[in-house]
Amino acid sequence: MLILGPIGFLTPWLLAALATLPVLWLILRAMPPSPRLLRFPGTRLLLGLKDPRPVARHTPWWLLLLRVLAIAALILAFAGPIWKPAPEQAGQGPVLIVMDAGWAAAPDWSQRQARALRALERAASAGQPAALLVADGQAEGAVPFQPASELAARLRAQQPVAWETRYPQDLTEALSQVPGSASVLWLSDGLDHPGRTALLSALRDRATVTVVPPQGPRLALELVEGEQPALRMHSDTDGPAPGVLAIGVDPQGTPRQLARLEPEAAEAGTSGVISRLVPIALPSELRNRVSRFEIEGQGSAGTVVLADDSLRRRKVALVGDDRANEGQRLLSPLHYLRRALAPRTDLIEGGLGDVLQASADVIVLVDQIAPAETGALQEWVDKGGLLIRFSGPRMAASERLGDEALLPVRLRSGGRDVGGALSWGDPRGVAPFPPEGPFAGLAIPPDATVRAQLLAEPSPDLASRTLAQLTDGTPLITRATLGQGQVVLFHTTANAEWSNLALSGLFVRMLDRLVQTARASAQAPEPEMDGEMFWTPTQVLDGFGRAGDPQDLVPVPAAEFARGPGPGAPAGLYRSGERAAALNAGGPFARASWPGARIEAASEAPGRDLRGWLIAFAALVFALDALGSAWLARGGLAPRDRKGAGA
Amino acid sequence: MNRTAAELRAEAEAALTGVPALMLSAERLAAAATPGAHGKRRAGTGEDFWQYRPAAPGDTARSIDWRRSARSDAQFVRDREAEVAQSAVIWVSGAAGMDFSGAATRPRKADRANLLALALALALLGSGERVALAGQPPRTGRLQAERMGQALVARTRLDVDEDMPPAEALRPGQRVILFDDFLGDPAPALAYLQRAAGLGVQGAMLQVLDPDEQGFPYSGAVLFRSGSGVLRHDTRDAAGLREAYLARLAERREMLSRAALQAGWHFGTHDTAVPPAQALMWLWSVLEG
Repeated sequence: MLILGPIGFLTPWLLAALATLPVLWLILRAMPPSPRLLRFPGTRLLLGLKDPRPVARHTPWWLLLLRVLAIAALILAFAGPIWKPAPEQAGQGPVLIVMDAGWAAAPDWSQRQARALRALERAASAGQPAALLVADGQAEGAVPFQPASELAARLRAQQPVAWETRYPQDLTEALSQVPGSASVLWLSDGLDHPGRTALLSALRDRATVTVVPPQGPRLALELVEGEQPALRMHSDTDGPAPGVLAIGVDPQGTPRQLARLEPEAAEAGTSGVISRLVPIALPSELRNRVSRFEIEGQGSAGTVVLADDSLRRRKVALVGDDRANEGQRLLSPLHYLRRALAPRTDLIEGGLGDVLQASADVIVLVDQIAPAETGALQEWVDKGGLLIRFSGPRMAASERLGDEALLPVRLRSGGRDVGGALSWGDPRGVAPFPPEGPFAGLAIPPDATVRAQLLAEPSPDLASRTLAQLTDGTPLITRATLGQGQVVLFHTTANAEWSNLALSGLFVRMLDRLVQTARASAQAPEPEMDGEMFWTPTQVLDGFGRAGDPQDLVPVPAAEFARGPGPGAPAGLYRSGERAAALNAGGPFARASWPGARIEAASEAPGRDLRGWLIAFAALVFALDALGSAWLARGGLAPRDRKGAGA
Repeated sequence: MNRTAAELRAEAEAALTGVPALMLSAERLAAAATPGAHGKRRAGTGEDFWQYRPAAPGDTARSIDWRRSARSDAQFVRDREAEVAQSAVIWVSGAAGMDFSGAATRPRKADRANLLALALALALLGSGERVALAGQPPRTGRLQAERMGQALVARTRLDVDEDMPPAEALRPGQRVILFDDFLGDPAPALAYLQRAAGLGVQGAMLQVLDPDEQGFPYSGAVLFRSGSGVLRHDTRDAAGLREAYLARLAERREMLSRAALQAGWHFGTHDTAVPPAQALMWLWSVLEG
C-alpha cells in the first residue's frame, strides 16, 4: 500500500497511468468538433478549394479539462484509494491472530474477517508466517505457524459459534510455538470471558498485542424465570434499546413476527453494562405460539431466546374420581375442569402417583382426602408445584378434615349449606375480588351463586390467605404458599353440585389465572436418572442466531447440558422424553479491559474507501462533458438561426 | 411546393403594382397589327403589303401585280412584309439548388423566381403579348396567366444540379427570359446562349441568389452538399474559404455577363432579400430596350 498524506492506495502501480494524461490531452485536443452537414447550391464553386488553415478548430480548453479530469478520477478510483487507511502493523515479524469466535463476535463477523484477512495479506506480502487462534473452545494443541497465504482459506471458512468465546485451557501448550518477535492481533468481541486475562498476560509476555475492539454495541438476551416469565436485555451501551421480536407460527402455520416487545427503563449494572427488563406482555394464546424471541436487528445467537417448556403451556394434572359413567358425565367435576383447562394447557390424568412422575406444573386434586402419596405430593409442592384442590361431599363427610395436610387453611368439618331445602338463607353470590389478588378485574356474573361450601376455622391469617370470598364474607378460594410452591383450595365443588360457579365463564378465567401463577417447569429432572439422561438436540442455532438442523450432533448428557451452551452443546432446542428445554447463549456479561495492549481505534481500522465516490465523480464529469459537447454542437454562445437550411 | 397557384398569382399581381405596362418597343408594336405577330420590316411571306418593286428577271408572271403595272409601262411586283410570330418565353430553373433558402425569413429561390416569372408574364399579357413557359404554346389573355401560374406551381423539382431550357425549342422572334441561380455547370448555359444568338433570339438572364450564397457566412467544419447531393465538399474551416468562394462567384458572373453581351442578351442578378419589384423593373427596362 502506498500512502500519500491521508490517502493510501491499494494498487499504486495503476497510478502510472496518470502519466498518459498529457498524451490524452494532445489527442483530445486534436479531435475536431463534429462537422455539420449543409445543403448548399454553391458547392460547385467550392470544389477543389483547399482549407487555408488545415488545423482543426480546437476543442475548448474547459471541455478538455473536464475529460482529462474524468479520466484522472477513473484512474485514481481504480488505484484503490483509501482515506486514512489503517496503519501498518507494529511489528514486521510473524503474526498471531486471535479471533474471539463466540456469539458476541457474530454481528460484525464479516468486518472481523476482513480485518484479519488484511493482516494475513500484509504478513503474506512480507513473507512472514502467521497463525490463527480461533477462540471457540474447539482448538486443541499448539497453535501452528504457517505461511500466511495458506491461512486465508481457513479464515474465510470460519464461522462464529453459538456459545461464549472460549480460550484454550492450556496456554503454555497452545502458545508454545509463538516466537518472541511475533505481533498479536486480537480481534476481540468486547466482552470478558473466563481465561481472557490469563491469555492476555501470556501473550503480552511473548509479543506486542494489538486489540481490535468490536464495532457497535454488544447485546444479549436472556430469560428471567419468575412468576411471570420475562426477558432481560443486556447492553454495553446506553443508547436507545432496540425492540424484541417475538417470532412464531401464526394460525395458518406460517412463521412470522407475532409481536414486538418494548424494553423497560434501563437499570445500570456492573462495569457499564446496562440491563433492561422486557416483560412478555402477550395473551397466553399468542405466547404459546412464540418459538423464539430475538433482539431486533442483531444477528447473534446471544440475542435469541428460544421458547421451551418454561414459556409454553403448563402441564396440568387432574386427579379425581372419574368413575362416572356416560349418563353421569355432566355430574363429574373432572368434566368441568377438563373443559375449562384443555384449551390453554396440556392435561394429563391419572392417579396421583403417576401424575407426580410426569413433572406436571399444576396438579388439580378434586375432592380427595388424605391421598396415599401425601409425602411425595408435599415434596413436589415444596419444589414449586401448584396444587389446586376442590372440595366436595367426600371432604365434607370426612371425619379427619381438621387434620388434613396440604390445605391453605384449617377447615371445619361438616361444611355449610345455604339456600338448600333445609336451610333458611338464600344462596350466596361471589363478592368482588380484591384488586391485588390474582383474580383482580374479573367480572362476576350476577347469577353465580354458591349453595354449599366448606368453612375455614377462623384464624389470624385467614383474611390474607383468602383470594375470593362470598358476599357474606366467608372464604370461597384460599391460598397458602408451601416452600416454593403453593396450595389453593376452592371451598366449593368443581361441578354444579354445590354451586353453579362451574357453569360460568368466570370459572374458566379463574383457573386460567391460577394456572398462570404456576412456576414454569416446577421440577428439575429426576436426580436419580442423571447418569443416563441425555438431551437430544432438535434444533440448533449457529453463531448468527439462525436456526438449523442439528446434523449429526450427539445427544448431550444432562450434566453437560446443565453447564450451558458449549462446544458439544450449541445453543438450541433440546428434548428429553416429553420435556423440551432450550439452551440459550445470551446472558449477563462484563466488558473486557485491555491493560498493556495497544487498542486500534475503530476509526482507523478500515479507512474510508474513496473508490465509489471517485467513480461517481467521473460519471458526473462525463455527463457534464456530454452537455458541454451538445451545447458546442448547437453552436456555442451565439446560436445561429438556421432553421430551414438545407432541405 | 408549398403554395397554391392562386396565391402565387395574387402575389405576382401585387408585385406588379406601380409597374407601368410592359411594352415592347413602339415600332414593333406598330408593326404588329395582329397581336403577337411582329413584322420583320422586309419583304417576305405575310399578309400585309410591304412595297411595290419593279419586276426583275426570275419573277413569275403570277407574281406581277397587274393593276399597278397598268398605271405605268413597267411591271411591278407586289411584295408583302415578312411576318413571324413574336412571343415571350419564360423559363424558371427546376434545379434542386433552387429550393435553397438561407433563413426562414427569406423565400426560397424557386419561390422568388416563380413570382418574378409570373409577374413578368402578367405584365406582358397585359400589354397584349403572347407569353408561354418554355415548351408550351404561347397564348394571349389573362387565362394564359392562370395556366402559367398553375404550371409553375405544379412543376416537380428536379433532382439534378443543372437545368436548362431545351435549345431545340428556340424559334426566331422569341424573347426568352431565364430565371436560374446559374451556380451549376455553366457549359449548357453558354451553349444555349450561342445557339440563341445564332437564331437571333434575344432575351435576359436573371440570376436569383440567396444572401447566404452571396456572402458565405459559414465557419467551422462544414460538409457542403450540392442541392441534389451529388457534389460534395468537406471543409474544416469554412470561414477560410470565403475569399476564394466570393472570387469564384464574381468570376462566374463576369463570364455569364460577357457571354450574354456577346449574344445580345442581358444578364442581371437578384437577391432574395430585396423586394422583387426591383428585379421586375430591371427586366422591364431590359425587354423594353
